[in-house]
Amino acid sequence: MVDVRLNATINGRKVSRDAKPHLRLLDFLRDDLNLTGNKEGCGAGECGTCSVFVDGVLMKSCLMPVAKAQGAQIDTIESLAKSGELSVLQKAFHKAGASQCGYCIPGMVMAATAALRANPFADREEIKERLGGNICRCTGYQKIFDAVELARDVQNGRVPATALLETDTADGEVIGKNVRRIDAPSKVSGRLKYAGDMTMPGMLHVQVLRSPHAHARIVSIDTSAALAIAGVESVITSADVPGKDGFGVFVHDQPIMARGKVRYVGEAIAAVAAEDALTAKRAVAAIKVVYEQLAPVFDPDEAMLQGAPVVHDYAPDNITKHIPIRVGDVEAGFAESDLVIEESYSTQAIEHAYLEPEAGLAYVDHDDVVTVVSPSQNITHHRHMLARIIDKPISKVRFIMSPVGGGFGGKEDMIYQGMLALLAMKAMRPVRLVYTREESIISTAKRHPSRTTLRMGVMRDGRIKALAMRMVCDGGAYGLSTEGVMRKAAILAAGPYNIPNVRIDTYGIYTNNTPSGAFRSFGALQTQFATESQLDIIAERLGLDPFEIRRINAMRDGATTHTKQTLGSVSLMRALDAAEQASGWEAGAPTVRGGTRGDLGHDDVRPSVTLGTRFAATGTQEAAE
Amino acid sequence: MARKRGRGMAACWYGIARTATVDRAAAWAEIDDGGSAKIVTGVTEIGEGILTVLAQIAAHEIGVKPEHVVIGDNDTARAPEAAHAGASRQTYMIGNVVALASREARKRLVDVMAGMWDVAAETIRTGNGEIWAENTNHRISMGEAVACAKNRGVVPIGSATFGTDTTAIADGKDGDGSGRPWQAYVFGCQVAEVEVDTVTGEVQVLAVWAAHDVGRAVNPQGVEGQIEGGIVQAIGQGLMEDYQLKDGHASTSGFAKYILPTSLDVPRVNSIIIEDPDPIGPLGVKGIGEPAMVPTIPAVMNAIYDAVGVRVFNLPATPEKILLAMREKARRETMATQAAE
Ligand code: FES
Ligand code: FES
Repeated sequence: MVDVRLNATINGRKVSRDAKPHLRLLDFLRDDLNLTGNKEGCGAGECGTCSVFVDGVLMKSCLMPVAKAQGAQIDTIESLAKSGELSVLQKAFHKAGASQCGYCIPGMVMAATAALRANPFADREEIKERLGGNICRCTGYQKIFDAVELARDVQNGRVPATALLETDTADGEVIGKNVRRIDAPSKVSGRLKYAGDMTMPGMLHVQVLRSPHAHARIVSIDTSAALAIAGVESVITSADVPGKDGFGVFVHDQPIMARGKVRYVGEAIAAVAAEDALTAKRAVAAIKVVYEQLAPVFDPDEAMLQGAPVVHDYAPDNITKHIPIRVGDVEAGFAESDLVIEESYSTQAIEHAYLEPEAGLAYVDHDDVVTVVSPSQNITHHRHMLARIIDKPISKVRFIMSPVGGGFGGKEDMIYQGMLALLAMKAMRPVRLVYTREESIISTAKRHPSRTTLRMGVMRDGRIKALAMRMVCDGGAYGLSTEGVMRKAAILAAGPYNIPNVRIDTYGIYTNNTPSGAFRSFGALQTQFATESQLDIIAERLGLDPFEIRRINAMRDGATTHTKQTLGSVSLMRALDAAEQASGWEAGAPTVRGGTRGDLGHDDVRPSVTLGTRFAATGTQEAAE
Repeated sequence: MARKRGRGMAACWYGIARTATVDRAAAWAEIDDGGSAKIVTGVTEIGEGILTVLAQIAAHEIGVKPEHVVIGDNDTARAPEAAHAGASRQTYMIGNVVALASREARKRLVDVMAGMWDVAAETIRTGNGEIWAENTNHRISMGEAVACAKNRGVVPIGSATFGTDTTAIADGKDGDGSGRPWQAYVFGCQVAEVEVDTVTGEVQVLAVWAAHDVGRAVNPQGVEGQIEGGIVQAIGQGLMEDYQLKDGHASTSGFAKYILPTSLDVPRVNSIIIEDPDPIGPLGVKGIGEPAMVPTIPAVMNAIYDAVGVRVFNLPATPEKILLAMREKARRETMATQAAE
């Protein structure tokens, strides 16, 4: 296909350039013009971080073919602070603490700019609706709304511009003050370079071949046709690993590419480095793999049965980790109890959905140091593992942590850095890999789905006598953080309560599903969901207020935990009091009293929304006003 | 009424820093020419605000302004080990070690000035970019003090390491789980107010009141940001997100199918920060990243029950599940009434 000649005005400058016709406007801006401020979060029009102005209209540049920009006036995030001075809105984002990882922020700033242009007096609810096409995974949006409201008020002269300035620390007191985030200016302006924004001279582009099967033996891999393609520099498989293969936070059970067999759909099998991503993609398609199907196992309870398919030879029972906690005698505790309640709970797998998909750069430097630049949440551990895998001393392995566009535990695993290092060593050129959103979702860790049975025995006065919990979690195909997740889940399972008899068992199980790994709140979310739900069920039965039953059982200063650790100060009672008071909680047993409560709808509660009413019925609403 | 409101609450606890193992971190500090501070430690922002927290801590300990603190890159070949960005450990582990390293650098500078001014080191104060001796006329800028130190052949630097007094838990075959997994624990409690549409089954979380102990809040706005973000992620898991596999193949592999909370789904979050200082670390700080997420889901499920009398045991509480449970509840109630008649 022939290139298109694109004439456009970009950030106020005339641009006349040839562009590959398959490019999206986003690629053209980022790759050809090096305007990397706007990011790619999904490539599908769903997240908004790629949003730019096309002839003044907010557009998702990942959805726009470059040829459509012919003759247009394009403004990217870089246009807002061209002189170096941030716009009022950018300053407001800085002041309000509206950026966290920052990856969504260029798009948010563009959308917010559009919102205030459309209606300089937009109220909070309208601002929310106008930002509805932009996803932020970090902030919970609240500080973003605060920022837009602040900018609106400054622009309208309702608030002085000094409200945007740094918090005063002239008294010398720095701790406890809302000092503005030092990384925010680089984020609100799009200047911060994430790994996927970085390039190096001579850099190759990497693509990965992934397994279409959940459980299969690899009979053969033929890379010759891929290597024969012009522009392909290197192809690697597990056969290229020079050292002892295997990574994982606890057990090193995962090869950097499938070795001998594949254990889940999406597992890496081979990787290609080529002059451009398209060539690398074609080379990946030219790799021939012969598989022999193996019986898969997808259900963790089934995986625990005798005779179930075995995912890893070292664990014939498919148990990655079992964690027990034992205190007292639970059976005696239940026998003594006035009321025993047993329920079952389950939680689903969820995706971290950090807005920044995995990306990384690797090169071998002048001192033969294999260097990997990536948004890794644990470069210390990664370098230990990589040194062993590539058989080099630690001093010859270097990890640099690039700004992380959201992690939440999902970037703790060395999922792709090993492939990058190997390719850089083989090609002796810099290599870069940027995942698509789909690749990120199917091939990286999830939160452990769980099934929990919880039995609790209580006395009529609300004292918990005994607690028995069994949780089975689907750890998926590889160990990653499963062992640690099971441990934290178990230690915290019974909640911050004094319980004389406790029996907890958590099991992380291998299956042929997408691996589960570290995820913010690391197992404690699953177990405490069950315990805290059950406390309300019991409170209803006993006619106790939910705060009351927790206070009756609350650990106090000097309490002994379920792992028999003696605590010092315990702030639980303060937390209960504070939440109860702040919410103006009306005391009473949890007996479906929503309809009669007197504490609802305070002014620190947001109005409920009826989706789309404002935009669908703008005319009628205006008429009504 | 098609829409019903209710409230629920839940409490939580959490351990700070790595679990059931010894955690550690190190840092270097230098009071630089011109009176700025340079901190090198294995940390990069993952969005939580750690760089700002460290700048505040170094500024506080050394006596300069936070904007005059520079933090070096996280690079295994150029910075001391600070290990991973997770486990709600950054403020606790790296914050404390940066405080210790900063104290050592400050002490080097203070010792030089004490000698020059012929005063006891304990009478020297620093703050806001200045250094002075109490009850004297001696007061100069930090930049001038650094120049004095360098003229005497001293570069004001410090380094420190911070480790936890923790143990494994007995989790072997016949283990009882006993051990000392963390040295700092935090506690929290959240109240949720929801509205359930009884026609569609849709749940809106209208407000959450979140009270969390963080030890000491270095940057309250940052703490709120962690609480707000954590609550919204929990609402995603509680109400809508669902990574689904069919025979190992993901059917939710893009954001079109994998539903995430947007600006219209989020509650008003009212944060209450509790400060129960950690007695072990030099700063009293603890952590907030993960605990913020723990009580939200049960608080919301308890609130849904309060509103419509159905309890969701299997997450997520999608509109379909709520409707099904409400229908089931109605059916049971009708049967009970009929049986009674
Ligand atoms: S909407 Fe364009 S990258 Fe997500
Ligand atoms: S700050 Fe919005 S996605 Fe991270």
